[in-house]
Amino acid sequence: MEKTKWIGFACSYTPLAVIHAAGFTPYRVLPDDKSPDQAGRILHDNLCPHVKRILDRAAAGNLPELEAMLIMNSCDAMRRLYDAWQKTCPQIPAILVDLPVTSSQNAIDFFRDQLERVTGVLENLGDTGINPERIENSIALYNEMAGYFSQLREKNRRGGMKNGAVVLQGLYNRASVEPPEEMIAELAGLLSEPDENLSSDALPVYLFGNVLTDPAAFSLFESCGARIIAEDMCTGSRLFTEIPLEATGDFLADYAGGLLGRRPCARTFDASEPGLLGRVIVEAAKHNGACGVIGYTVKFCDPYVARLPEIRDALKHEGLPFLFLEGDCTMNTIGQQKTRIEAFIEMLR
Amino acid sequence: MMKHYFEQLENGLKSAIDGGKASPRKHYSLEIARLGKRLYSGEDRVAWCGITTPFDLLNAMDITSCFVEFIGAMLASTGVAGDFIEEADQIGYSSDSCSYHRAVMGAAVKGMMPTPEFLIGTTSPCSGGLAVLENLAHRFAKPLFVLHVPQDESGKNVRYLADQIRNMARFVSDATGASLDSGRLRAAMEHTNRARDIMTEVYDLAKQVPSPVTGKDLSNFGIVMALFLGTEAAERIARAYLEEFRRRAEAASRNASGEKFRLLWIQNRIQFKNPLESMLADDFQATVVIDELNDITWEPIDTDNIYEGLAKRSISIPFNGAIENRVTHLQKLAREYRIDGAINPCNWGCRQGTGSRGLIEDGLRQIGVPVLNLEVDCIDSRKFTEGQFKTRIEAFFEMADAKKGNVY
Ligand code: SF4
Ligand code: SF4
Repeated sequence: MEKTKWIGFACSYTPLAVIHAAGFTPYRVLPDDKSPDQAGRILHDNLCPHVKRILDRAAAGNLPELEAMLIMNSCDAMRRLYDAWQKTCPQIPAILVDLPVTSSQNAIDFFRDQLERVTGVLENLGDTGINPERIENSIALYNEMAGYFSQLREKNRRGGMKNGAVVLQGLYNRASVEPPEEMIAELAGLLSEPDENLSSDALPVYLFGNVLTDPAAFSLFESCGARIIAEDMCTGSRLFTEIPLEATGDFLADYAGGLLGRRPCARTFDASEPGLLGRVIVEAAKHNGACGVIGYTVKFCDPYVARLPEIRDALKHEGLPFLFLEGDCTMNTIGQQKTRIEAFIEMLR
Repeated sequence: MMKHYFEQLENGLKSAIDGGKASPRKHYSLEIARLGKRLYSGEDRVAWCGITTPFDLLNAMDITSCFVEFIGAMLASTGVAGDFIEEADQIGYSSDSCSYHRAVMGAAVKGMMPTPEFLIGTTSPCSGGLAVLENLAHRFAKPLFVLHVPQDESGKNVRYLADQIRNMARFVSDATGASLDSGRLRAAMEHTNRARDIMTEVYDLAKQVPSPVTGKDLSNFGIVMALFLGTEAAERIARAYLEEFRRRAEAASRNASGEKFRLLWIQNRIQFKNPLESMLADDFQATVVIDELNDITWEPIDTDNIYEGLAKRSISIPFNGAIENRVTHLQKLAREYRIDGAINPCNWGCRQGTGSRGLIEDGLRQIGVPVLNLEVDCIDSRKFTEGQFKTRIEAFFEMADAKKGNVY
């Protein structure tokens, strides 16, 4: 069997289809707490635990054999990860991809050129020439997977999946590190199962934020009486949404526009609509029938930290109760907040 | 309050200068007072911006503008930042974020920031700075333009940013009705280039051993001068420094100097009144001869190709891009200024600068320059504990003293 060749990544704006088209399997370096804390020697305490735990994994060699690490320039912390990565594991080349903050036409054009550059770098790294057809096929493949995921999310939303949010998170984690072809078969199988007839008095809650990978965190929400009916997390649905292809004939341009045009996280915004993120969260929560909203972000995440007051205002304005949790990507910190989560759900009743 | 403060400051400085007590720092502060007065006059067209905005272009359009961190620094220097930071914390700003930005947001909430006509966010130097401009745009319900500053000059990056700056000029016209006259733009760039030449001479003089720079002469200089580019004020200030430094350099060649340690200051100064600089000078005969941002990292602006020149300048600031650029730049400064040690005030909340503390320290250590990292909040004086710093500074100079002579 041919050996899988991995390219590491860490952000949901990563052009997975380009990596795939070049013959690699994207491998999301998810933060875990299994590697000793070494990042602190090179990165300051005030950097987000997401990047520090990724660096810890690299320093401990707790990774598959990566051919390269693709780092999106999404925020100051990611830029510092790029710097530190080169020091910590110079044997795995790091590729920094500049990521615009808006999706204006010239930002899309710029990002398209960045994707073209990545294409060239990956071609040199591997032995697969990338042509437009390969890119189109890979985009289609990821869209197929995203399509299955969105149907599964819908199934969860209507209450047809037992422990739906927990199951989904487990699947997201695997789909972030496994070849898409294998995941697609499994997702299709799950979808073909009939809806479970569940009745529960859990309350529908919408979750937004950045990095929360442990399915146990979702179990915790459930054990506190919440049913996460929909979420918008960097390590959740955000990586797995379909990217429509326009008929421009330039797949890279379409892909660039599609990636930048996804539902914005805190580091991307529309300059013509400042404060949009708060409204997007309100709409998503209402659309999904949530009676409350939980925000979870890792500490020191400037993009979210800075937008929280506005998000809080927007939710308050709509009368949507809000609980904000901050953590370090581990179950430890979220576990400590169990009483707050329980109190929040009680308050919603 | 702010308008009154800047008016008083202007009057005080003017009478000191007119009364024969001129100094380059007074000329510099006078222009700051004038800018502050205009920002708060209620008469000028005001814009709040990010640090890498091309202010000379805005000056050419008669827009009174500045980066928002300037207000944070002002509030700190007048000893009132704490109240505004508290205000920001009240509305949900995390105490883990940069206090320049928290002070500014607090000021906006308390009505201490005049309503701008528009805002310009820049992706460089920091994610927090861009976020605060988005928040301000929302709060003021005013149009926002964003400049995405690429990481380097490779590929089509310069053209990409140049096009954005062109679009920015159109955006400003649309937002204010002010048009950009090509003659005025060219004249502004000529001012910029002349100021650049004079500043280069000033910095060259600062490199001399002993250096004509003392104490806080050039603190915040490079970053604040960007606000005056494109105007005569920039030339005026730079010339005042040049004349004074020439005079001092001449005198120093005749007199023995008390300069024992030459220091490089990394990133920004501590903005509130504190005893550090005087402690350095009095207790250790140490002088900050160079601040990281006091350097010209850009070519003169080609007046036939202005937007490309402005784009290159924004890309060139040392905080932009990978840390390698920044470390290389710091190493260059350390060599050129014959530095004995560096001080890095690690502003809590700054991922851009403080986040890379370890990498900067390594880079300078490689060329034999020890770095003193201070855990400090550069804006919030309430967190400052003099005693703790003193012990660390003493230990640093003991070590630097032992090393001195073996550095190069
Ligand atoms: S969690 Fe926030 S600060 Fe950390 S890498 Fe993601 S966006 Fe950046
Ligand atoms: S101190 Fe750092 S975070 Fe704060 S404004 Fe400066 S670069 Fe940005």
